[in-house]
Amino acid sequence: MPEPDAVVIDKLVKRFGTFVAVDNVSLRVAKGEIFGFLGPNGAGKSTTIRILCGLLGPTSGQATVSGFDVATQPELVKRSIGYMSQKFSLYGDLTVEENLDFFSGIYGVPKERREERKSFALRMANLEERRGELTGQLPGGWKQRLALGCAILHEPPILFLDEPTSGVDPIARRSFWDLIYDLSAGGQTIFVTTHYMDEAEYCHRVALMYKGKVIALDTPRAFKQRLGAKSMEEVFINEIERQEAATA
Amino acid sequence: MWERILVIIRKEFRQTLREKRMRVFLIVPPIMQLMLFGFAVNLDLVNSPIAFMDLDQSVESRELLSHFQGSQQFNVKYMPDSDAAVQKLLDHGDAQAVIKVLPGFAREIHKGHTAHVQVLVDGANSNTASILTGYCSQVIQAYGQRLRTGVAPLSAVAVPRVWFNPDLLSRNFFVPGVIMNIITMMTLMLTAMAIVREREIGTMEQLMVTPIRPIELMLGKTLPFVCIGAVQMTLVTTVALLVFHIPFQGRVLTLVFATLIYLMTTLGSGLFLSTVSQTQQQALMSSFFFFTPAFMLSGFSFPIRNMPEPVQWLTLINPMRYFIEILRGIFLKGLGVAELAPQLSALFVIGCMVLFGSARRFHKRLD
Amino acid sequence: MSFRRIRAVFRKEFLHIVRDPRSLGMALLIPILMLGLFGYALSLDVNHLPAIIYDQDNSPASRDLIQAFQGSTYFDVRSVSGDYPSIEKGINSNKIVFGLVIPPDFTRLLEGGNVQVLLDGSDSNTASIAMAYVTTVVNLYALERTAQRLDQRTGMHVKPLTEAQVRVWYNNDLKSRNFIVPGLIPVILMIIAALLTSLCIAPEWENGTMEQLLSTPIRPTELLLGKLSAFFVLGAADTVMSLLAAVFLFNVPLKGSLAFLGLSSFIFLFGALSWGIFISAATKSQLIAYQVGLLSSFLPAFLLSGFIYAVDNMPTVIRFITNFIPAKYYVTIMKGIFLKGVGMKVMWLELLWLTVYAVIIFTLAVSKMKPKIA
Repeated sequence: MPEPDAVVIDKLVKRFGTFVAVDNVSLRVAKGEIFGFLGPNGAGKSTTIRILCGLLGPTSGQATVSGFDVATQPELVKRSIGYMSQKFSLYGDLTVEENLDFFSGIYGVPKERREERKSFALRMANLEERRGELTGQLPGGWKQRLALGCAILHEPPILFLDEPTSGVDPIARRSFWDLIYDLSAGGQTIFVTTHYMDEAEYCHRVALMYKGKVIALDTPRAFKQRLGAKSMEEVFINEIERQEAATA
Repeated sequence: MWERILVIIRKEFRQTLREKRMRVFLIVPPIMQLMLFGFAVNLDLVNSPIAFMDLDQSVESRELLSHFQGSQQFNVKYMPDSDAAVQKLLDHGDAQAVIKVLPGFAREIHKGHTAHVQVLVDGANSNTASILTGYCSQVIQAYGQRLRTGVAPLSAVAVPRVWFNPDLLSRNFFVPGVIMNIITMMTLMLTAMAIVREREIGTMEQLMVTPIRPIELMLGKTLPFVCIGAVQMTLVTTVALLVFHIPFQGRVLTLVFATLIYLMTTLGSGLFLSTVSQTQQQALMSSFFFFTPAFMLSGFSFPIRNMPEPVQWLTLINPMRYFIEILRGIFLKGLGVAELAPQLSALFVIGCMVLFGSARRFHKRLD
Repeated sequence: MSFRRIRAVFRKEFLHIVRDPRSLGMALLIPILMLGLFGYALSLDVNHLPAIIYDQDNSPASRDLIQAFQGSTYFDVRSVSGDYPSIEKGINSNKIVFGLVIPPDFTRLLEGGNVQVLLDGSDSNTASIAMAYVTTVVNLYALERTAQRLDQRTGMHVKPLTEAQVRVWYNNDLKSRNFIVPGLIPVILMIIAALLTSLCIAPEWENGTMEQLLSTPIRPTELLLGKLSAFFVLGAADTVMSLLAAVFLFNVPLKGSLAFLGLSSFIFLFGALSWGIFISAATKSQLIAYQVGLLSSFLPAFLLSGFIYAVDNMPTVIRFITNFIPAKYYVTIMKGIFLKGVGMKVMWLELLWLTVYAVIIFTLAVSKMKPKIA
């Protein structure tokens, strides 16, 4: 029997007034997959992620995460996910360790597992030596790793990363993606949005989002083959031009 | 559930107390306010300085002067001899009133006519003016009668027995108001700011995707400020009792009980403000517009009975109005829960409504 | 000093204010709120003091005295058939301010007799005013009675030998509003200066735009003048608005010279805004700037300026401190202009102090604006 999918989106629509941010999106993400969400700014990627995390209610359509409906069972959804937003969102005035302890408590990590999870996160983020420093004073790439560390403390089966590497230098981005691979290898599903085309290459499958719609969905390799493109960047530009031509 | 709340409380304390400036701000403003209201602010009418202008220079006019000098209500400080000098005294506000004895004062009296004495009162402060007017009339009329009978008139005396605040000290009146002011400011503003700050820096979004329940988040966010408010309340009350010798007639337990009920409204309002504000700037502005009228219309300095009737009705929904009555009742009058039941139940009803209303608005969604 | 640069800052700052409906709304709403509160809702006039009278004598004399109370607008006699429990209950429940007890032998004792006043002292201000009023009524009544007796005894009516002719200078209607509203303008300007600047300028440090500005060739003085003038426009608009409301809405008589009023307001506003900017620059944080602003501007302007609470009644140390509060001088000037119609000749010293403080604060603010190379 095949395992049920980690994320199922069915005809999802989100309107803000007259503006349609998410326009009839349907897709499925399998367990353990690294699923990339690609698109220009304002395409509706973050809105989709926020709906999946239970932060926004959908206007219509359905979505389930880990088998729970995001509209009716948001609290159950929240137990099984980790979330990291594009904006750095840890407490700058708490130390690295205090931030980890705080989220550990909020996620309800059992007491006996706490130390272990904390040292795992510290090791993973390579922050063992800076655990006593105020988070606000860390360099950008370190902050992102710490944020990821906080998001996986409770070992969520699904991880939502909303532009996790924006504003981070290429080397730090590389090491960040290494982390993502490790997590995926450990069986976690990763749903990531980005507008860095090179990052799209690292994903198992990629959805292209444009003006609220998913205009294409495939593996990076299939995309490139089908379009005869050398990089995802070319794929992206081709697809969007095609879409523009179709609607014009 | 309590675990998660404790985690938030611990974090909230760390964040609030880590910064030195913040620590200073939890202590200095309350003490400063207490000092200002305890020492400086004063509506007492002690010894208003007056001037006596004698244009008659007769035995009688000098006698009248000695009556003014002998009275406790007056402090005859100036003896101007020209209208220009009188004008100057009043213009500068040096004298509150000028008693002007016109030439011919003695002559009129000897003829058996009524001799008029002019009293020029600075009406700028209307209360002082009406009181001075009354006192001056008394002295002048009593003098006339004394002239007629040769003995001091035996006036009926109003013997005051002042309850609750026998020395009529302004500070006994103001300090309970200051206590309310401090506890309200702190719990209301810190709560609102603590939530809005998280929204501003993006951590609120991070919290919302965790399994934490809204009630846990709300409790975790408000309880630390209850503690800070309680510490401040203890501090300020101690200073009030030890430094200012404010009487405390009631029971501590009543005070604690009433304060807890009152905190429901301030914390509820803080939560409410946080649900209508997106930024710290907005939260500060809204708290100013919420706090200032509520405080001014609480009766802390301006008696509610002096307000126009519609405004008096409006104060019925003002929690501060009830709390200040309760505080004065406990401190000065020694009232207990039974006597304060109307105020307490009003506070409780308002508190429940505010808390319920803001809890409904406070959910874990962004839209 | 380049006026072009000042103008650029001014324009930017002004656009900020105008585009942000909230700060503009606040600049308009604060005066309206304060004027509404102090011009309409709050009053220090003590009249219609609620009272219960317990007449144990029930004689013509005691009824005469009761009439004297009933006839006065200072009192609101709720009941003339009270007793001790009803007075106590009335005071405990804040229904009355005092109870008057006329003893059973009042008529006999009238010469040298006592009436008892039971007073709620918790509101010391109302209580002392009430006490003064009651004493006056009782004393004047007694004087009159004595005169009547003399008349009866001598069989002829004699006019009183002396009588007071009261003339109220300034504020003839004895309305506390006329006393409060002129002093309110300094308070409003102080709030505007402290609040608007802390909320609009401190964030520039928080989000780093100030650093950007300081890296341009602009000089601190120019930057300060530019920012200041933008807020100055708002403050001036508030002053005009408050003045119009005071004169036309609340009918507070304006006796003195408008030119002098304008000049002193200009100087005061300049100093107040400099202080607000100084705080923002020194604290670099909205919340703290706001609190320091309220504590150092609003509270002193409210409490220590003579706005409501007389400076003369304060202890020596605090009276000395009030000398360092610019709002005190401005309050004195405003009250002088409105109520007394006095001008430069009487109040030049106050104006001089205002100017001195404005210059000192401006210099301080400029020094805080200078970029620090650490």
